[in-house]
Amino acid sequence: MGKYAVKRILLMLMTLFIITFMCFVLIRMLPLANLPLGDPHSDVILARREAAGYNKPYLVQFGIFLKNIFTKGDWGVSDVLYFGQEVSAVFVSKLPATIIVNLYSILLSIPIGIILGILAAIKKNSWIDHTISTLTMVCISVPSFVYAFVIQYFLSYKLGLFPFLMKAGTDWFSWKMFVSMLPAVLSLSMGVIAGFTRTTRAELTEVLTSEFMLLARTKGLTKTQATVRHAMKNCMVVVLPSIFGEFVGIMSGSLIIEKIFSIPGVGQLYLNSINGRDYPMFTMLVVFYTTVGLAASIVVDISYGFIDPRIRMGSKK
Amino acid sequence: MKGKKFLALVMAAAMTMSLASCGDNSGDASGNSGNTENAGDSGNTGNTESESSSEPESQSGGETNADTRYIYKDAVNLLASNWSVHTYRTADDGYPVDYIASGFYDFVYNDEYHPVEGMDPFTGYTIVPLMAASDPVDVTAKIKAEHPEYGIPESATAGFAYTIDLNPNAVWEDGTVINADSYVYSMKQLLDPKMKNYRATDYFDGDFIIAGAKAYNYAGRDAFFEVAAAAESIDDLTVGDDGFYTLSDGSAVYVALTDGLEWLGGNTLADYVNAYGEAYFGVEDFNALQGMADENGHVQLNEETLAHIVGVITTVADWGETEADAVNYLVYGVPFPECDYDSTVGLFKSGEYQITIVLENSLSGFNLYYNLAGPTWLVKEDIYESCKRFDGDAFTSSYCTSVETTSSYGPYKMTEFQSDKAMHFVRNENWVGYADGQHTYVDPTDGETYDMYMTDEIDTQVVSESSTSKLMFLKGELMGYGLQAEDFDTYRNSEYAYATPRTTTFFFIFNGYLDAIKEREANDGFDQTKNDLETMTLQSFRRAVAVTYDKELFASTISPARKGGYGLIGSAYVYDPDTGAKYRDTDQAKQVLCDFYSVNTAEYSNLDEAVASITGYDPEAAKELYTQAFNEALEKGFITDNDGDGISDQSISIEYAMGDDPNDFMTKTINYLNEKMADVTTGTPFEGKIQFVMSANYGNDWDKKLKAGMSDTVLAGWQGSLLNPFSIIRLYTNGTDQQYDYQWFDASKISLTLELEGESITMNLRQWSEALLGSTVKVGENEYNFGEADADVDTRLTILAALEGQILQTYDYIPMLEDASMALLSQQVFYVVDDYSPIMGRGGIAYMKYNYNESEWAAYVAEQGGELKY
Repeated sequence: MGKYAVKRILLMLMTLFIITFMCFVLIRMLPLANLPLGDPHSDVILARREAAGYNKPYLVQFGIFLKNIFTKGDWGVSDVLYFGQEVSAVFVSKLPATIIVNLYSILLSIPIGIILGILAAIKKNSWIDHTISTLTMVCISVPSFVYAFVIQYFLSYKLGLFPFLMKAGTDWFSWKMFVSMLPAVLSLSMGVIAGFTRTTRAELTEVLTSEFMLLARTKGLTKTQATVRHAMKNCMVVVLPSIFGEFVGIMSGSLIIEKIFSIPGVGQLYLNSINGRDYPMFTMLVVFYTTVGLAASIVVDISYGFIDPRIRMGSKK
Repeated sequence: MKGKKFLALVMAAAMTMSLASCGDNSGDASGNSGNTENAGDSGNTGNTESESSSEPESQSGGETNADTRYIYKDAVNLLASNWSVHTYRTADDGYPVDYIASGFYDFVYNDEYHPVEGMDPFTGYTIVPLMAASDPVDVTAKIKAEHPEYGIPESATAGFAYTIDLNPNAVWEDGTVINADSYVYSMKQLLDPKMKNYRATDYFDGDFIIAGAKAYNYAGRDAFFEVAAAAESIDDLTVGDDGFYTLSDGSAVYVALTDGLEWLGGNTLADYVNAYGEAYFGVEDFNALQGMADENGHVQLNEETLAHIVGVITTVADWGETEADAVNYLVYGVPFPECDYDSTVGLFKSGEYQITIVLENSLSGFNLYYNLAGPTWLVKEDIYESCKRFDGDAFTSSYCTSVETTSSYGPYKMTEFQSDKAMHFVRNENWVGYADGQHTYVDPTDGETYDMYMTDEIDTQVVSESSTSKLMFLKGELMGYGLQAEDFDTYRNSEYAYATPRTTTFFFIFNGYLDAIKEREANDGFDQTKNDLETMTLQSFRRAVAVTYDKELFASTISPARKGGYGLIGSAYVYDPDTGAKYRDTDQAKQVLCDFYSVNTAEYSNLDEAVASITGYDPEAAKELYTQAFNEALEKGFITDNDGDGISDQSISIEYAMGDDPNDFMTKTINYLNEKMADVTTGTPFEGKIQFVMSANYGNDWDKKLKAGMSDTVLAGWQGSLLNPFSIIRLYTNGTDQQYDYQWFDASKISLTLELEGESITMNLRQWSEALLGSTVKVGENEYNFGEADADVDTRLTILAALEGQILQTYDYIPMLEDASMALLSQQVFYVVDDYSPIMGRGGIAYMKYNYNESEWAAYVAEQGGELKY
């Protein structure tokens, strides 16, 4: 497994390098933001472009880009959105809010989703199953911003249970911060809960009808024992990787939810940076999320081995 | 087993936390405002906690901690990210500046402490020193003699140089002294050619031009500017012996291929050609130019290159441009030699607490004070130096991008900042204004004396959705809420609703470019047996449209904050800042409206009543005019009536130039226009034959389409300088592409004769408007100049009104709306003065008073059931 992991990591680095190079060149090929004549900022941006090697061949530009990252940790300076500020500093300052809101959302969604899925599977074709399945479909179909407005109106405005917006400050783990995040967390969770419910129900339903479950019952196990000891374990082979997948997506912010609840996260950065042609920011985001995506695929693949010992990664036998 | 236990633990924790939080009713339901009572928790009033940076005072003898602070809770759509006075770009970025900076002088209401002769308290204003210690002293003669390098004109005797004694009590928030060196250092940094600061142009591109500021700022490089701003056409350029074109001052002229041009909405010609190629442009000519371009994308202009650029824009007729438009693709270069600050820039230290400012143009009186009343260019030296970063030639500064890199010398100081989230200010106890004795006033209601700036803290947070703002406002968590269209029915008559007028008058511009219309009609896809566009160029038709719509009803239907617009120059414009007198209130301006709307003033006891009778809506007159237009159109062959039923065979489809995708406002506008048009044309030859249709989304090109006659109408307007109604008139007469109808209306061909001071003067409209703006215009042997310094204000008003009347009579512009906004103000606060003043507004945060402190407010909101009624 260790050898396999090292091999995957090396492959990942190579893939990352290739993707980064391709993205870098493609981004540098995009039309540059227009610089108004006589605008002093135009001169500053032109000088920066010169320093970044914009008039040189792409390979040289890429070399300058890598050199700045590895020697100075310099990902560049924002041209448009946060004029003059280092893009890495801006991104890092925004990441915690996104991560924490997503983390709470996942922590809330996983147990609820799995429990509902199990319940629906065990009570298959009963009114409970039908209710859960219907609600699941509704939750998956309705976009999260609709929940956001409904939650804000009823829970924050009418009932006064929560603040309208996420609390300002960086006390990420304070109780007040947690409470202020809950409307956003609930809005984000609806779809995730529904997703877990559906996956769990489908997998568990299949497992529960397997022959080995019949064998377990004939051995004398109760239905609960058989479900918990055997069915759940097999069901988790599919469910757990999707949980890992959710954790990987933790660093991607939701554009709409972050906007509605004034979450100072990274959700809007991606779109704003490409719309505003803030290429230093966009390049850094592309590289970062590519890295995260590649790392996630390794983690998910390796996790199969831990979840189900029958799956042996990289084994030649 | 371990896995199961862990899973169970996580589930239990998550469930417990969510349930516990749902049941929590602690006092922070207000979110970021931090310390207001949860509106739904009436049982807990008096138990609110403060989490904010400053501690609430304890109420003696009470069981609870009462929060006695006055906190202004504001919401913004976009939070500032860079508020350095040297580099900020947008109004959003400039938001904190008013709180953390001050001007040399301050405008305050007139009252017992600041009396103005002949004016009732709080009806005018006075100017008091703030960062300055006294009024500026004119030293023009002295500086002219001692410093010829600043180039003060020989004939000048006043208005070009001033010394300002600085207030020795002015300090930064940490107590650091602000003296003459601080100002000189800051100006040096602002204008430093290496730094290329965005705000440097504030000191050489407006009214307030510091001598040598531009020369130093551009030192050692060529600067390029658009030719269209300096010359109206290619004919205005000079051809040198070498065959290259120059401006009259000798500056070389170039074709700009890769510069963002105003004519192209900030895009470059190369962008357009690359995007549309041969569909719109002469690509061969463009390639030829590209082959000759230097590293800046410039090609020096001579006959050959001129022919190429003309070829680029005229080869394909669909681009809709002529040779005359070539001037918009040209730039000129100005070389600026190396120089140093001390011998170039007219701002220097003349004493420990005294600076001298030398100006390139004379400035005095109100305009001088007005320019010195805004935030100064000061930066705090130690922080500023630590924030500098140079990458090769590129300068970057992180000054004023965080709390640590910000220092205040204004009434408030920043204590918290979170990017894209919130910022918080508290009172800057070291602000010079709190102790100068000038910032107190006598309340017009109770006669008591109060200090200005009752607000202790300002809490600003980002609220992107207006629906969220509204809910927060109704919960008492915001101080104001800007009304949206859907709110007007509910709130427009609220006693807490405040309207704020703007300068823009929105008018319909009607396509009168007959040549372009004929071209459109000649296109294959246009069926002339069913459709017609030419009729809309008839004045009778335009006059009919002008009286088809009730302007007040139009305003209340599509944009209730606004009101009906009747003239080209809105009612907010002030012509005399000293008295606040408005142009629209003058007899000249009233008479223009009466003439334009055919109001017989003899039927009214005075002009005010006559003007008040104007609605702009006269369906009977409109019907007659539509019939008249029908007959004229038949006569000219624009339309037919082959079946002889008295109804036009053709429909007139008026294309509305869209600058964006259709939205609620546009849909309402078009629906309203069509609905009323259908009503009024009933029974006329155009019954059911006229309709407005939305164009495709032209983006930033909407005005270009309109000016080229390729689209037919739009609701647009000019935002002018509130205190100068005279300057805006040139936008209707100057004949450049700024003028919407410049392709079909030539103001230089329309004569106007006025009797002024016993003399009958005849000039064309363009000459009149130029003379009004201070240019000397020669007519025959006579020279005329009606600028501010050369003519009395009554004469100028007469000229302005006459020009407005003449332009209205073209019916190219049909005034429809006057811009305004309306907002609700929280019951927690009130303005000392309700009436809006163009100079003072309503006094801003300096004059804002509180009905309740934070604890009282929380109790009040709870008492109201947690939902306030406005």
